[in-house]
Amino acid sequence: MTPLLAFHEVGVSRAARTTMSSLPVVSTEPDTMLSLEVAPHQTVAVLGDETSGVDALGGLALGLERPLTGRVLTLGTEIATLERSVQLAFRRRVGYLPASDGLLQNLTLRDNIRLPLRFGSDFRPREIEGRVDVIVAQLRLTRVADLRPAQANAEDRRRAALARALAFDPELVVLEEPFDGLTDRAAAELLEAARGGETAEGARRTVFLTGPDLPALLRPRVDRTVRMARGRVEEVR
Amino acid sequence: MTGFLAAIGRGTARWLGRVGLLARFAFEAFASIGTLPGAGRRVAARVLLNQLRFTALEAVGLIILLSGVLSYLTISSTIAQLDKVGASELIGKLMVVAIVRELGPLLTAIAVVGRSGTAITAELATNTVLGEVRALKGMGIDPYHYLVLPRIFGCVVSVITLMVLFDVIALLGGYLAAGLFAGMSGARYLGIVLANLTTQDVVLTVFKGLLFGAVIGIIPAYEGLTVRRGPTEIPQAVIRGTVHSLGMIFVLAAIIVGVLVR
Repeated sequence: MTPLLAFHEVGVSRAARTTMSSLPVVSTEPDTMLSLEVAPHQTVAVLGDETSGVDALGGLALGLERPLTGRVLTLGTEIATLERSVQLAFRRRVGYLPASDGLLQNLTLRDNIRLPLRFGSDFRPREIEGRVDVIVAQLRLTRVADLRPAQANAEDRRRAALARALAFDPELVVLEEPFDGLTDRAAAELLEAARGGETAEGARRTVFLTGPDLPALLRPRVDRTVRMARGRVEEVR
Repeated sequence: MTGFLAAIGRGTARWLGRVGLLARFAFEAFASIGTLPGAGRRVAARVLLNQLRFTALEAVGLIILLSGVLSYLTISSTIAQLDKVGASELIGKLMVVAIVRELGPLLTAIAVVGRSGTAITAELATNTVLGEVRALKGMGIDPYHYLVLPRIFGCVVSVITLMVLFDVIALLGGYLAAGLFAGMSGARYLGIVLANLTTQDVVLTVFKGLLFGAVIGIIPAYEGLTVRRGPTEIPQAVIRGTVHSLGMIFVLAAIIVGVLVR
């Protein structure tokens, strides 16, 4: 089966970041070489501390950064090589939960969830509202949906950020440090929401997550776990 | 000596590099207009309206105060001197050349840099530091569309509008001051001013508004979005945005006087 996400001989370095104009700020040698395929319906976790370069993988998967070496294919396409506007349109096909949540502070949680739909879809306002109401209810955000991120607690912010990532009901979801600071119960709920339920082949959605570690409760629910340490990559499970 | 020249060369190269990046940022921002999706236009228009409220509407009081005080000071301090040499007719020329053509646009731009330029840098730098800009790109929203273009156009429209307001209030202030201090009739004052006000002055005011507004939109946005090191860099970015915007506005004002005004 064609993988939804594939890292081919990708050189990873923690320092590689880009500017608004896609110009590399720091040019560094890769610390670690990663080759990994994420098959459809799988939940794959790549774990490592902040020196391992694991925090760069989400950006590479979304084409936000170019790999120092190798290729990253997302839904069969090398996003980073696409023309800017095509790149942006393509990313709407992938759900993305960034490490810092990335919720816009001047919008309510509901407006944050609504934003990608209003900006990047041709849905009518009523359809958008309907879809947002469903996601808000699914992620149990109804009570806090009209709060701004600074007024909500960390768990609700993470739920809202995931709700925003799932707004287009994507096939593939990329989660960066999704469980950081959450209780095991909240983390399990979040992972289930990201997976979107079970099918005969596995999870309904394909989930690629990165972070320093996985809560023990979640380990059985992850199909593959890869651990990255500076210069080393090993399959744990 | 060689070391001294090398230091100058390095400084110049660094400066040119920054100018190049800023020019690229401005080019990419304007080029992104062509790729703004239909649905995105409505969202960007709403951000633009908010920008107009903050930049133009909420600055009206400040502009009225600045303009009124400036015209009062100019007229009250010069009219008596002009009267002594029998040149009170020159008050019209003074109002048009000094206030409408030069000080009006400059003071309006300075006020907008102080109020909105600083706010744009601080807001966008905070967006960058909190990972909001990266998140926007990650969900397929171009930060140029959502954050930059509404601010550039908001600043252009606001600066032009506020400049016109500044000039109108200044001329009205001059009208009151001329009556109070020189006993000049309203009709005479208006006649003198209108005789000195040319189409070129009006066109130049709008042209300056366009240029200064673009500068106030572009430079603070660039400084805000290029913050790298975290929250401690935000005040430095605000200072850079303010100083570079003011510097560019003064340089442009001087170039316009040198090239366009004969």
